[in-house]
Amino acid sequence: MTGDASRIRRRNSLNKGLFLCFFIGPALLVYTVYNIYPIFATFFYSLFDWTGIENAKTYVGLENYARLIRDHIFLRSLGNNILLVFASVLTQIPLGLALALLLQSKIRGMRFFRTVYFLPFLMSTVAIAILWMFIYNPTFGVLNQVLGDIGLSSLQRSWLGEKSTAMGAVIATICWQFTPFYMILLRAGLTGIPEELLEAARIDGCTPWKSFTRITLPLLVPTLVTACVLSTIGSLKYFDLIYVMTEGGPDSATELMATYMYKQAFRHFGMGFASAISTCMFILSFIVAVAILSLDRYRARGGV
Amino acid sequence: MTGIKKWLSIFVCVFLLASLMACGGGSRGGSSSSPAASSSSPDQPSAGSPASGTGEKKKLTLWFIDTGKRKELIEETVQEFMKAHPDIEVDAVQIPNDTYKTKLPVAMGGNNPPDLFHSWGGGWLKEFVKAGQVMELTDKIDPNNYLPAAINIATYDGKIYGAPLAMSLTLFFYNKEMFAKNNLEPPKTFNDLLRIVDVFKAQGIAPIAMANKTKWPGALWLIYLANRIGGSDIFTEAFERKGRGFDDPAYVRAGELIQQLVDRGAFINGFNGLDYDTGQSRQFLYTEKAVMELQTSSYITNVRSEMPGFEEKLGIFPFPVVEGGLGNATDLVGGVSPVFSISSKTKYPDEAVELLKALTSRELAQKFADQAGVVTAVKGVEYKDKFAKMMNEYLSQAQFLQPFYDQTLPPEMAELHKDTTQALFGKTITPEEAARQMEEAAKRILDK
Repeated sequence: MTGDASRIRRRNSLNKGLFLCFFIGPALLVYTVYNIYPIFATFFYSLFDWTGIENAKTYVGLENYARLIRDHIFLRSLGNNILLVFASVLTQIPLGLALALLLQSKIRGMRFFRTVYFLPFLMSTVAIAILWMFIYNPTFGVLNQVLGDIGLSSLQRSWLGEKSTAMGAVIATICWQFTPFYMILLRAGLTGIPEELLEAARIDGCTPWKSFTRITLPLLVPTLVTACVLSTIGSLKYFDLIYVMTEGGPDSATELMATYMYKQAFRHFGMGFASAISTCMFILSFIVAVAILSLDRYRARGGV
Repeated sequence: MTGIKKWLSIFVCVFLLASLMACGGGSRGGSSSSPAASSSSPDQPSAGSPASGTGEKKKLTLWFIDTGKRKELIEETVQEFMKAHPDIEVDAVQIPNDTYKTKLPVAMGGNNPPDLFHSWGGGWLKEFVKAGQVMELTDKIDPNNYLPAAINIATYDGKIYGAPLAMSLTLFFYNKEMFAKNNLEPPKTFNDLLRIVDVFKAQGIAPIAMANKTKWPGALWLIYLANRIGGSDIFTEAFERKGRGFDDPAYVRAGELIQQLVDRGAFINGFNGLDYDTGQSRQFLYTEKAVMELQTSSYITNVRSEMPGFEEKLGIFPFPVVEGGLGNATDLVGGVSPVFSISSKTKYPDEAVELLKALTSRELAQKFADQAGVVTAVKGVEYKDKFAKMMNEYLSQAQFLQPFYDQTLPPEMAELHKDTTQALFGKTITPEEAARQMEEAAKRILDK
């Protein structure tokens, strides 16, 4: 009898394994070919002096990485990326949370506002970039026009044309683009918080601020962690909007690692060096993601 | 409660997975040579694989970047070619300029190049020639059919690797009406230009329009000024490492004159952040908020499609001389586009040469001149278009055509040249420092 049972159990688990393979297999294969393999291939290419257009590669060891550390444009782009990470995490997520809370309150026409707030995220990045290039246009742009109309013409700038303002102008656009995404993400988190808890707090005479800091916020932490990871990694590998708006200029003021990598690969024909840049990007993103996740696990084990 | 937790954790998991995949995606960009090349092949049948299905037809792929009227004329020529050669099927793919600069290297690196492809000759094409990706055409085409200045741009060590079709010249495009209203004549000297700048500046009009986000429009100024100050040979000497270098006083002086213009407020506001492709400088001329712009001859094509009414006010004049400089007033800065070349991997070299000849024939060049207002690189074309006629006159007077630096220099130096010039315009670098950086790069890259 017992033999029968274990045989059936074994057969069941075998079936289960096959069943899982059947479903995971294809996706895993695609994932390996298009994601895992290129990561290693990139690292492999980064060890060569290679133009990307010829078959001959020269092995140079870690020379590309040594060059990377000496390259002041790369260091500047790394600095810009870090600036972008902080700007994104510190503005997009709080703003997204504020909007998400706003959308929870019972105001007439909520659906309308929800749609309007979400619109920027639905637009294509290139469209956003061109739209904001027109807004920032020093002569015809809305921004300078408004500044002039309210008597602040001393603040008028050629926003994308000056080294000092270009990065700020681009970051503002990126925040405008992504805040709605965090709004939706955090709103989903908020709907997950049970109404009874908040109701009980209200009956006990809890102020709205207290119920936010003591109930809503702690329960929202997992979603916030997700938002942080997404925002950080997104900022580290950001490319498209900057590429369209400034191409990293003027004078490398808005250069990011990704835009610099692109230029090295396709303008300078330095595929090996570009691969070194992208390997760096991968390692940085990886470290940051692991760090945030382990911090979160530590927090969760702490029993908060 | 547990239900909610479960949902949240699933949510987190999904996003973590997504972000991990995003990581991978990010790093894929750099190494995209082989995977990207193979993934981009489905949208245009590759040169390597003979046409499946049609079987007996020989299939050629052509990549070009011309737009508007020029695109139509090239497509027309391809259609006629196929009619004349029923056994050949040509797949002509038009690719936007910036995309093309990425797409061709990827296709070459992935060993999956088009049979015929566009280039600008110069240093860019030379990279592919060095990599053994381009077929030599020395015995296959007759160089006497083309203007020497044009065919030279695709000739390396006496071997021809491309055939030119059209030229682009850099000239001032200006509003004749506004000049006439102020009793101004096109400037003959740099000081004349400064006086004109002051006249319009005093009226609150920006004298010169420029959109320098992509850096090459500003570079045109440096190339011209260096030529007018240092003479026709300044660039050749520096590039071939014989005689003067990129840190010659002429280059420093050119940078100083640029900054002098910037200090006078000669240019429109915020030019370093404006985009030429979306017309952000041209709109200043159209709305009479600026008077002139130094640009290439495609300006005319742009005016015709964007603001046809402006054409009657539009005039052209060549770059003025600089007092005390060594340069000739007739020297022109220009380039050749398109230059067509054939891949060394093509399966049908003879057929490809035939198509190449059709694409750079006098017949097509004549159509380019008549219908697109272009100066061509092909000999024996008669010009009827007003602007083409004028430009052809300038060209025939010119003893020297200075090619655009960024199409002659190796890619890394080309980018540095554009970067430092943009910084000169933005006044974030001194003329001496810009010249020093260029010479340093030249020592590292050209001397080896």
